[in-house]
Order: sequence, then C-alpha cells, then structure tokens
Amino acid sequence: MELEELQSAWTQMSNEINHQKKLTNQIILDMTKQKYQNKFTTITKYETLGAIICFAIALVILINFQKLDTWYLKVCGILTLSFLIVLPAMVLSTLKRIKNIDILNGSYKENLKLYVKTKNRLLRLQQIGIAVGLIGLVFIVPVTSKIISNKNVFLTSLKTEQYIIFTITMVIMVFFCKWAYNGYLKVTRSAQELLQDLE
Amino acid sequence: MQKEEVFTELIREHQALLYKATSIYTDNKEDQEDLFQEVVFQLWKYFDSFRNDAKITTWMYRVAMNTAITFIKKKKRKPKSVSVADVFSTQSDDKDDVLEERLKLLYQHLQHLNTLERGLIFLLLEGKSYKEIATITGLSDTNVGTKISRIKKKLKTNMTK
Repeated sequence: MELEELQSAWTQMSNEINHQKKLTNQIILDMTKQKYQNKFTTITKYETLGAIICFAIALVILINFQKLDTWYLKVCGILTLSFLIVLPAMVLSTLKRIKNIDILNGSYKENLKLYVKTKNRLLRLQQIGIAVGLIGLVFIVPVTSKIISNKNVFLTSLKTEQYIIFTITMVIMVFFCKWAYNGYLKVTRSAQELLQDLE
Repeated sequence: MQKEEVFTELIREHQALLYKATSIYTDNKEDQEDLFQEVVFQLWKYFDSFRNDAKITTWMYRVAMNTAITFIKKKKRKPKSVSVADVFSTQSDDKDDVLEERLKLLYQHLQHLNTLERGLIFLLLEGKSYKEIATITGLSDTNVGTKISRIKKKLKTNMTK
C-alpha cells in the first residue's frame, strides 16, 4: 500500500461516514450527562482506594504507636508510616496533575509533553512502591506483629517453616520487581523518544 | 435556539470528524466508544467557552486530540486491525470489501506511530494545511513540515516491509 492509497482510502471512508448521521439528539444528550466509566477514572478509582487503605492502616499504627516500646520498633513504625502516607499521597497528586490537563486551551504539543512526563513520574512512583514494599517487609512485619499480637519479632526465634515462607516470599518479590522494572524501562524508553520528538 | 439544540446539531454535523479522531487513538471498538463519549462530554463541558474567533472544527480537533492524550492505553505487542473500519462496515448497507481491506491496512500502519505522529498524520489525512496543523497542535509550521516528512518516511518503510 502506497501513501497515496492511504490518503484515498481515508478520503473514501470520510465520504461514506459523512453520509451516515447515526447519532440521534437523545444519544448526544445522554453522552453529555451520563456517568459512564472510562479507563482513566478506573485507574484513579483503584489508586484512590489503595491510598485510602494505606491511610487507614497508617491511622491504626498512629493510634497504637505507644505499643512500639523499643527504639528499633519505633524506627520501624516511623518508616512504615512514611511508606504508607508519603507514597500514596504522591501518587494521588500525580493523578491530579493528569486530570488537570488543560484540554480547552493547552496545545496538543504541550499537553502531550505534560502527560508523558507525568505518566513517567507515576510509573516511577509505582516502581519505588514495589521496591520499598520489598525492603519494607523488614520493617512492616515487626510493626504489625507488635501491634496485632504484641510480639517482638526481633526477640522471637523463627520456626523452620516461617524461614521457608519468608525466603519464598522474598524470592517471588525479587522476580516480580525485576519483571516490573523491565516493563517500566520499556515504557519509559518509548516515552523518552516521544519527549525528544516534542522538543 | 436552545444551547442543547445547538450542541446536538454541531455534534451531528461533525460526528464523522469525531469518529475518525477517536479511531486514530484506539485499537478496538469498546475503547473508541469510550473515547468518543469522553470527547463529546468534554466538548459539552467547554461549549460555553468556545469563542467564535476560531473555526469550530479547529476547536473540535483540539479538544478531541487533547482528550485522547490522557486516554491512550499501553501499546499492545501485536497491533490489531481496527475499530472504525468495523463501525463503518456495520453502518453501511452495501459493504465495500476492497475499501474495508484497505482501511484495515491503513490502521495497521498507523498503529506503528507514536501519539504525536498519529495526531499529525490524522490532521494531514484530513486535508489540513501545515499552518492549520500548527495551529491545532501548537508546533511551528516548519516543525510540522519536518515531522510530517519523517512520518511519511517511517510509513513508507513499514509499508515496504
């Protein structure tokens, strides 16, 4: 297929569609009012739900913070709280930036640039979330264990099956991180090319 | 005439433009319908802000393309053949098989382009001049020319593969 053929196929399609006035006034008016779901609102919904869960857990830890009675448990508590509050808050603010893209006045070029940059930031945050989640096992487990069952895991010797479960979890997490990171690299590489194109 | 009437008339008048704009950025019927609705919703939302000093279609192209930016899904590994061809074939009583096949090919080639390139080639296929494309996209006239010739080369390479 040659370029001229692309143009002629497009023109022919345009002519055909121009003759088909399929939409009725009612359908159009429904579109202006209907509360339908699109992909972006779905992403926002899941991220918001995730953030609410994180904030709720953070609140529970805050309320029970006095139960963390040694300095190292307190440090673990602070790290857990930071992880549960800072990261989701940053994700939500990034999503807000995407939602606030100026569709009416912004140019396609500027909007595209802003979108690609913000999307990259979102991906980076998700990557950090996964990595911190992996490292986080070290400080989240002692905090939850102390708050829920009043056990200091640093002073409790683990059983063999607990060691096995812990090792398997770590191995799975490492593979998951590697897989997610490769995906991230692939997406950001094409985004980078697009950004260069927009400069 | 009431605002609703003017708006529905406008959408009916330019629905082909919206079908085509939404087909460029999506690769299946469901996504296209979602994007189409989102574009109509955004046009309605900003309808009061439309100033008559701009051409209505220029305004529609801009809103449609800007809306599409945030809507683009992650690229699929294998480009599929596409929506508007389906919409078109189901709408038409006498199907043109040759045209349908050409449209499938056309959309397959377009799937290899990035978001910026898709937007530019869409406006070019719509018969817009470089100046109009520059107005809609915010690029300079010369930049439009350079990018379009690069896209043409890219398309040509893909077509001969």
